[in-house]
Parts: sequence; C-alpha cells; structure tokens
Amino acid sequence: MRPDDVPDAPGPVRPVAVNDDAVRTALAQHLSRISGSRTEITSFGRKSSGFSWITYAFVARSAADGDRKLILRVGPPNGLFAPYSVLPQVCALQSLAGSGVPVPALVSSEQHGAEIGFPFFICAHVEGDVPAPWAANEIDPDHKRAIARQFVEILASLHRIDPVGTPFASLQQGGERAEVRAIAGWRASLARPTARYYPLLDWGGRWLEDNCPQPSCRTIVHGDYRIGNFIEHDGRITAILDWELTHLGDPHEDLAWAMMPTFNARSRKLYGVLERAEVIDLYQRASGIAVSDKSLAFYEAYALYQAAAIQMCAVRAFEVDRFNDMRLAVMASQMPSIVRAFERALEAAA
Amino acid sequence: MSASFERLIDGVIDALQSHVVPNSSDDFVRGQVFSAIYALNGLKLAADWKAEPLLEQVRLQDDTFATVKRLADGMVHPEIPPTPRIRGDVSDAAAIEALRDDGDRRLGQLLLWASGEGVRAGNRDAAAAIERLLRRAICDQLKIELATTPKSMLQQIAGGERDGGAAQG
Repeated sequence: MRPDDVPDAPGPVRPVAVNDDAVRTALAQHLSRISGSRTEITSFGRKSSGFSWITYAFVARSAADGDRKLILRVGPPNGLFAPYSVLPQVCALQSLAGSGVPVPALVSSEQHGAEIGFPFFICAHVEGDVPAPWAANEIDPDHKRAIARQFVEILASLHRIDPVGTPFASLQQGGERAEVRAIAGWRASLARPTARYYPLLDWGGRWLEDNCPQPSCRTIVHGDYRIGNFIEHDGRITAILDWELTHLGDPHEDLAWAMMPTFNARSRKLYGVLERAEVIDLYQRASGIAVSDKSLAFYEAYALYQAAAIQMCAVRAFEVDRFNDMRLAVMASQMPSIVRAFERALEAAA
Repeated sequence: MSASFERLIDGVIDALQSHVVPNSSDDFVRGQVFSAIYALNGLKLAADWKAEPLLEQVRLQDDTFATVKRLADGMVHPEIPPTPRIRGDVSDAAAIEALRDDGDRRLGQLLLWASGEGVRAGNRDAAAAIERLLRRAICDQLKIELATTPKSMLQQIAGGERDGGAAQG
C-alpha cells in the first residue's frame, strides 16, 4: 500500500461522472506507477451489488507481480453518500489485518483520486460468495446456522478490540458524544430542503437525540454489519466488507442493525435461523459485553431511522444529483413501510 | 407534471439506453427496447401520478387538522390551515402533491409541538391525546401510500437476478 501523498502523483482530475473505460485506463496507469512495473488490466468488469461505492473486479498483470485478482472501489461524485472519504475503509482494512476480524488486504488508496479522479481504494479479491440478505433461499439451515454463529463471533471480536492506539482512534472527533452527533447528522440529512418531509421522522429523530443512552463502553462499530456484507467460502466467513460507515460508538448499534428483519429475509431470526435470544447470549459470551434490553430497543429504532435516512439519500442521489441507477429510484417506494416500522420501534423503545 | 414523475421516466429511459441497448446485439430485442423508450417519452408528455391516492391523503390530513383544532382549543399551537383545502374538482397531481407535502410539514410541526415539554407542562392530557391522534393519522396516511406500492423485490433489484437468486437456477 502506498499512502495518499505519494510523490509524483498527478493532481486531481475530477471528471463529472464515472466512465468505466476511463477508469480502466487510469487504473492501469495508477498500478503501473505505484508498482514501478508496467501493469495491464484484464477481465475488468463492474459488479452490480453495491449501492454506494462503485465496485470493479479485475486482474492486474505485470512482470513484477504476475496476475493478481483485485477489487477496485470508487466513490462517485453523485453517489449515495457523496462526497466520499476513503479514510474509514482504509483505516479498517489496515487496522484489522491479521486480527480476528477477516478483511481483504489493502493494496492502494487515494483520497484525492490521483489518476482515476475520484476517491478510490484497491484491495485483494477474496474467493467466495456474498449471501443475499433480502430473500429466503434454499441454503441448508445447518450451514446457515454455522455462518450466523461465526458472524456473531466476529462481531464480538471486533467489539473486543481496544481502539486506543489504532487508526480507528482518529475517527473520533470533538467533545460531543459520537452517538448523538451521528443522529444529528442523519437529522440534518433528512432536513435538506430537497428531501421529502416525513413528520414521523422529524419527530422521531428529535426523540432519538433526546433519549440516546450513554454507552456502557465505546467500541469500534462497523456501521453496516449485516448479512450481505461478508464473503463466505467453504463454510467460513473469509472477509467482512463495506466499512464506509465505521466509527467509534455503542456496540448495541451493530447488534441491532444486524438483527433488522430487512436484512434477514424479513425474519426476526438472524439469517433466518438464529433466535434473537441465542444471538444475544452468544454475543455476550464472546464479547464480554452485557447487552442492555433498553439500549438494544433504542438502537433497533435507530436502525430503522438510519435506514430511512439512507433511503432518502438514495432518492436524493437519483432525483437531485441525477445519479443514474434505477435501484436508487426504487428505494423511494420503501419509505412508507420503513417509517411505519420506525414508529412501532419507537413505541417499544420509549 | 410532478418533477419526480418526470425524473423517474428519464431514469428508466437512461437505464435502457445506457445499459440495455449496448449489451444487446439481437435486433428484435433492440427494436423492443427502442419502442419502449418511444412509449416512455410519450408517457412523459401525457401522464402523471394518479391523483386519487394523493387526494385521499390530503382529505385525511384535513380531517386530522380539524380534530386537532378541536382538541387544542384554547391552547397556543402552530398554525392549523382552514379545511377543506381543496374545493371542487382538482385533478392536477403536482398541485395536490404540493398540498400533501405542505400538510405533512404542518402535521410535523404540530407533532413536535404536542410532544414538547412546554405544552406538556400546561395541559398534559390534551397534549398526549393530540400526539396519539397525530401519530395514528400519519400512519394511516402511510397505509394509503403502501396500497400503491409494489411488493418489494430488493434481492432481484440489487443483484439483477431474474428469478430471485441462484438457488432457483
């Protein structure tokens, strides 16, 4: 990996939209420069699964390194969470390498875009499959149970890490409580004049901000820890993905997010197989962190609030910033059901 | 015409032109896609959201405003619009949508007011009743929207699988 301030890096190019052919050419230039060996890009293709960063799979071929299967992730200027920062992802991939939390190996990153013109990072390709979180499938329940248990144990490993002295500590800003600041951030996002106004979100956002529990401990939080954000291979979880929302905060946040029925084929069971009580018991034993019913209920409401805010970011990216991905447009249709579920979750948390 | 309706049609046309046409070498398929684009351009000129579900929401909001006004009699509260806000036969969906959105903002102001410390200190029971009424009415309004929302197809949408996943081969 080379740091962002590599000498001789060209200045930012800043094209207005991500063009796959241009990215491919620039990628070859970038890898050639950082490796000092002419690099050719083959098998280059966009993967469709991500909603935020644009993901490409490719093979980098050079005399020095031979063929390497790699992944490029680019933050588009009009994407879901634009403007993008590579810092959280880079911080996670660097800090967690060799820990109990499996992550892809980081190859390169550039916040200022360098040859490609947009924030990006490159990491190693990890063999395996990404399970789909939204629909029930025909995977053997015993296999799913084994994966779900690993999923919880890895979360516990993440929350056991002391962030002090790791690059994660740099993600902590200011004196205000990070949890409250995050809620305020989503409230501000929902209050943008171009967003449709939902009265229950306005009212519920204030309630969350006023009633956010003091965490019993503050840990590394993945921020999007759910079925669908990991790779499994031969019955093992081989990589945890999508660290763009990672931060320091209340560990209940990850637990509540992971158990949202939306990410578990509408089931209250994790991955459709692990009962809630079993998840909590396993997590507590593996992490040594006591789960508070009150905090978990709060973060289950917060999860739906955040999901609603993310959907509104998607709608905005499509309608206002004209990011042409029809999947974002379709997200608007999910808002009524999310807002209703949020109202019920608030009732349970109050 | 509603801006979001026009944007949606533009998005569908762009998706077809940018992603489907370049990846299709079959003349028949390309003919179908270009015909679909032509039809969508026609819809853009002639169609809009259906007005009735929007009207239904505005009527529900009006009922809520009237009830809140009665319950909040004698209290200092955010402005409540005179109702009904629509008289006669109105079919301009964009105009009704704007009224619905304005109604949502006013309902939000009332909900924040009714759940605030100040009004609770003055008349706890009335404020709690208004808060309950508003929450229920807003949820009822969401039900009207849900009735015009297709069933979620998130997996297919995310991954592009036609049959909902590899397991179905």
